Amino acid sequence: MNFYQSFLLALKSLSTGKVRAFLTMLGIIVGVGAVIIIVSLGQGLQNEMNSAISGLGTDLLTVNVTGRGSSRQVSENDFYEFAEENKEILRGVSPTANVSATVKFETEELSSSLTGVNEQYCDIKNLTVAQGRGIQYVDCYSRMNVCVVGSYLAKEILGSRPIGQKLNINGFHYEVIGVLDEQADSSEGSSDDMVLVPYTCATKLSGGRLMTSYTLAAKSADVAEQVETKLEQMLYRVFQSENAYFIMNMASMMTEVNNLMDNMVLFLVAIAAISLLVGGIGIMNIMLVSVTERTREIGIRKSVGAKERDILSQFIIEAGTTSGVGGVIGIVFGVICSGLIGKLVGFTAVATLGSIMLAFGVSVGIGILFGFLPARKAAKLNPIDALRYD
Amino acid sequence: MSAIIELQNVYKIYQMGDEALHALDGISLTIEEGEFIAIVGQSGSGKSTCMNIIGCLDVPTSGKYLLDGVDVSTMNSNQLADIRGRKLGFIFQQYNLIPKLNVQENVELPLLYAGYDKQTRRAAASEALKRVGVLEKRKNLPSQLSGGQQQRVSIARALAGNPSVILADEPTGALDSKTGAEVLKFLKELNEEGRTVVLITHDNSIAKQAKRIIKLADGCITYDGPSNGENAVVESEVQA
Repeated sequence: MNFYQSFLLALKSLSTGKVRAFLTMLGIIVGVGAVIIIVSLGQGLQNEMNSAISGLGTDLLTVNVTGRGSSRQVSENDFYEFAEENKEILRGVSPTANVSATVKFETEELSSSLTGVNEQYCDIKNLTVAQGRGIQYVDCYSRMNVCVVGSYLAKEILGSRPIGQKLNINGFHYEVIGVLDEQADSSEGSSDDMVLVPYTCATKLSGGRLMTSYTLAAKSADVAEQVETKLEQMLYRVFQSENAYFIMNMASMMTEVNNLMDNMVLFLVAIAAISLLVGGIGIMNIMLVSVTERTREIGIRKSVGAKERDILSQFIIEAGTTSGVGGVIGIVFGVICSGLIGKLVGFTAVATLGSIMLAFGVSVGIGILFGFLPARKAAKLNPIDALRYD
Repeated sequence: MSAIIELQNVYKIYQMGDEALHALDGISLTIEEGEFIAIVGQSGSGKSTCMNIIGCLDVPTSGKYLLDGVDVSTMNSNQLADIRGRKLGFIFQQYNLIPKLNVQENVELPLLYAGYDKQTRRAAASEALKRVGVLEKRKNLPSQLSGGQQQRVSIARALAGNPSVILADEPTGALDSKTGAEVLKFLKELNEEGRTVVLITHDNSIAKQAKRIIKLADGCITYDGPSNGENAVVESEVQA
């Protein structure tokens, strides 16, 4: 009895008892479906988060200095020095002073996110200036009241000729010198809803607070870790305390988010796997019934020369086929469901080939595992008793 | 002629609680190649046990069984299965065809387990089905056939592996007398071709068709001789 014939025979007996076959497979279908849904949605969510983080730049580090009294301080010059010392791994550094701003133009008024930056900021953030020019060193040095606006502001309130217009920001007049390229969709609250001013002016706009936040760009995401270490050393030298500053490394944050997601998905899969276990027990149950029902058949097969391993493999293949078919149905069900759920929640569910193959393998494996006991029972049947069985 | 089946002082003892039941109580028996032999006896006489042992479905508790010169009394279940597939053909009272398989597949079964390839199986099965006259039914399921046809299929299955011994366990028991006679005719034909046929029955008139009768009672042989011998008939008729 070869594999192919056992397989065909198993398919045949599945197709002759469809309701029973379906009920037998149900546990596997639900289990595999659930695993596929969880993995696909998890992968989709992870991709979504990764692209959001990489949108911020995986080579970027932001430092928030909370300070430690007035005696120990870092200034922008300390950061420039740091950048100079580590220029082989650093692409640039800019103060990023975030100020909440009310922007008025003629009769319109809106609040926008305003950041005080230096001339390197656009490079660091990979921003391109669509019209006019960006913030330059001289603007910072001489505290010019100039600003670069995102495409949202340009479109929304400035109209077709934004350059040279005067904006009223927190009561000060600023001249628009540049408009940034559209990054998102030029809507309110998006990354296009922003105003850049020289950081030297931001202090004034915020009411005299000191520069406390910096953005650094590593040469690549690979050396971001290295930059972080050096930065930490530099800051610790100044503050002698780890609580006076906070460094956020986008690359390591992404790793952490991925780890977190992986663990979460693994946890959920483990829960879903319980139903696979239950499905396996269901298969074992039905196979035991089937062995009893087919005692006579087993006796006949043995009387015409079937060895124990022939009977064993026949029933194991049957169990494996049942759960394998269940697995395929579960995969189809899972892929369709995760696609629908993904659409509903608003991100693309990604059913990877790997997860599908794994799900299929696991379901066949479960069939074989739980089919073994009934198959062994069948194989061990005494041919005389089996032939006499009614 | 050489001995194909040789039982030497065979015991089969079943332990029923404290009691030991001697289903076969020291039987010695030699069957030559090409014989047509009937084993008769009432139920409980040990003829089924005898048939199980001759058919390699069971092994004796003690004693020796040589099939075709090979000692099979100490073989394990897998070796016995192999012997059954290659040397023995069974015909049962209940036909014992697998209901899910069609006629052709049923007949191919012994060849399948003996490891023949598809072409050989198909050819041998067709040949055997032609022989018993049910070739045109080969795609049918057993349930679509009459009892006589099913028994012919089971004869074809017994023949397909070209066994040296055909064991028929009450082959006519479930058939009317006309189809029963047909089945017996086949058995005779097979015997005339030189195959050893062992018929197990309780029916005296059927046993008489064989050339030699072995009568069992309480696990012992009470008669062993030609079917036209005096004792063979008398005792059976008394029992009947």
